[in-house]
Amino acid sequence: MKVVTGVIGNDIHVVANRLIDLSLKARGYEVFNLGVNTYLEEFFDAVIETDADILLISSLNGEAEGWSREVKALKAEYKGLDNLIMMIGGNLTVGTGKAEDIIPKYKNYGFDLVCHQVDLNTGLDMLAEFVKEKSA
Amino acid sequence: MNSHNDKLLIDVGSTYVKVCVESNAPERCHLEQHFRNFNQSILDDLMHKCGHTISAFAKDDVYICSSANGGLSTLIIGLTHTFSLKYATNIAFNSGINIIDTILYQDIASATVPSDLIDVVIIAGGINSKGNAFADDLYHYLQNINYSNIVYVGNEQDAKVAKAQLPELVVLPNIIDNRLHIVEEELKAYLTNLYQQDIMGKEDIKDLYQISSNQIFSTPYIVNQTLPLIDASYSVVNPFILLDIGGATTDIHYSKDLVDENMVTNNEFDRLVFKKLGVYKSRESLIFAAQGNEFVYELLMHLNVTENIFHEQSDKATRILMQLAIFLVLCKMSHYRQTYINLKLSAVNSIVLTGGVTKVLKQEEAEDIISFFYTKILTSQHRPVTIMDTDYAIWTLGSRAQDANHRAK
Repeated sequence: MKVVTGVIGNDIHVVANRLIDLSLKARGYEVFNLGVNTYLEEFFDAVIETDADILLISSLNGEAEGWSREVKALKAEYKGLDNLIMMIGGNLTVGTGKAEDIIPKYKNYGFDLVCHQVDLNTGLDMLAEFVKEKSA
Repeated sequence: MNSHNDKLLIDVGSTYVKVCVESNAPERCHLEQHFRNFNQSILDDLMHKCGHTISAFAKDDVYICSSANGGLSTLIIGLTHTFSLKYATNIAFNSGINIIDTILYQDIASATVPSDLIDVVIIAGGINSKGNAFADDLYHYLQNINYSNIVYVGNEQDAKVAKAQLPELVVLPNIIDNRLHIVEEELKAYLTNLYQQDIMGKEDIKDLYQISSNQIFSTPYIVNQTLPLIDASYSVVNPFILLDIGGATTDIHYSKDLVDENMVTNNEFDRLVFKKLGVYKSRESLIFAAQGNEFVYELLMHLNVTENIFHEQSDKATRILMQLAIFLVLCKMSHYRQTYINLKLSAVNSIVLTGGVTKVLKQEEAEDIISFFYTKILTSQHRPVTIMDTDYAIWTLGSRAQDANHRAK
């Protein structure tokens, strides 16, 4: 399966991005890594150009919260993204917050899988499980 | 070859022709500039004004570049703004093309059909493992367009279908590789060759081969070739931008360090064009653009003139229009206006001005307008160093480099 990934917004956490890239490849995904400082439109455009199945956005500084509010509106402007699996992970809030408050918020923004401060491998296990359920 | 290794360099612009004698003997070097007579062919006009100089040179020693043929008009159809359209646009600009329109493929059903003849249509989109990116709506749309050339630089899987639908289609390697990086060379070579064919097809320019046996290049291409060598002639500090403001268009060449973007290329410098921003042929559209900018009235006040200056035909009016052109170009490239590319203007160390602007404005008049822009639009005290290429050294340097390449081959 094809995955587009990258770090959203003005976030330069390149090490985390590299680890996600390596972990995805180790699990057999074909990865298109847009790197750090990536904007929402670039993510969706990359999905269109690659025909990716999964979009995995990461955030370390928490600014994903601001950007993610635009996800539904922007995604609606594209044709052909209805079956895209949308996942977001990392630190998803500025300051502190509880997962039980954060996860519903992001699901409402349009993400299928939300991993707030979850270990990378656990998050990717969740993705594998989700893909399996979806294709069943 | 003559004893002093003299060369004659000619630049045919939309408004002026420049003729420069380059020689190992400094006393033989000189530059002349003449306003074009549009009632005569370019060659007749040149021979009338500089016939004596031109006839002293063998055809092998005459090098010509031109931006007077208007360049090719291009329509790019791509899948996304960030990748296919952006990459193809970048390649087209760097190939010397001025007129570029783009269509996002998903909006093709509602896209306007251009009424003019398009010189070249470029279709781009998708990495090679993506198939079925384009469907019948593309071919229906293309049936309604009048074009001379069409080239496909999209994913490999759709190439076969596209070729079957459009037998005249030229298929080149995908401009997007499997890592979503840009692949420039083949499309760039194709467009540069088309430009040469376009020159050969235009009688006015074709005539110039009567005085030169060397290939005629586009002026922006020559200028772009010069940029890595520019510090040989000027104390330019990178990153810099070069503004070539002329009679019909304004060309901007910029260091890649000034853009945050997803394009990974081998070029150190890229080019973009504002096609209707000039003080002679594009005077009306320049004034129209100025009137649409909310800061222009403040700028006119700063320059101690009123809006009436737009209706005047005087040296002063030309000077004000040149100053406006600098201001508008900087606005268009800044984050104040979202366009194809936005430059980090607060990081610019040098602004090099070339073209007609250097014959109209004094150094302090150009600096004044750049200061106004940085204060008003960027609210910054930063002041890049302004360099005026008053003797067209950039163009002559580029032409000489072209000559050296030619001889090396």
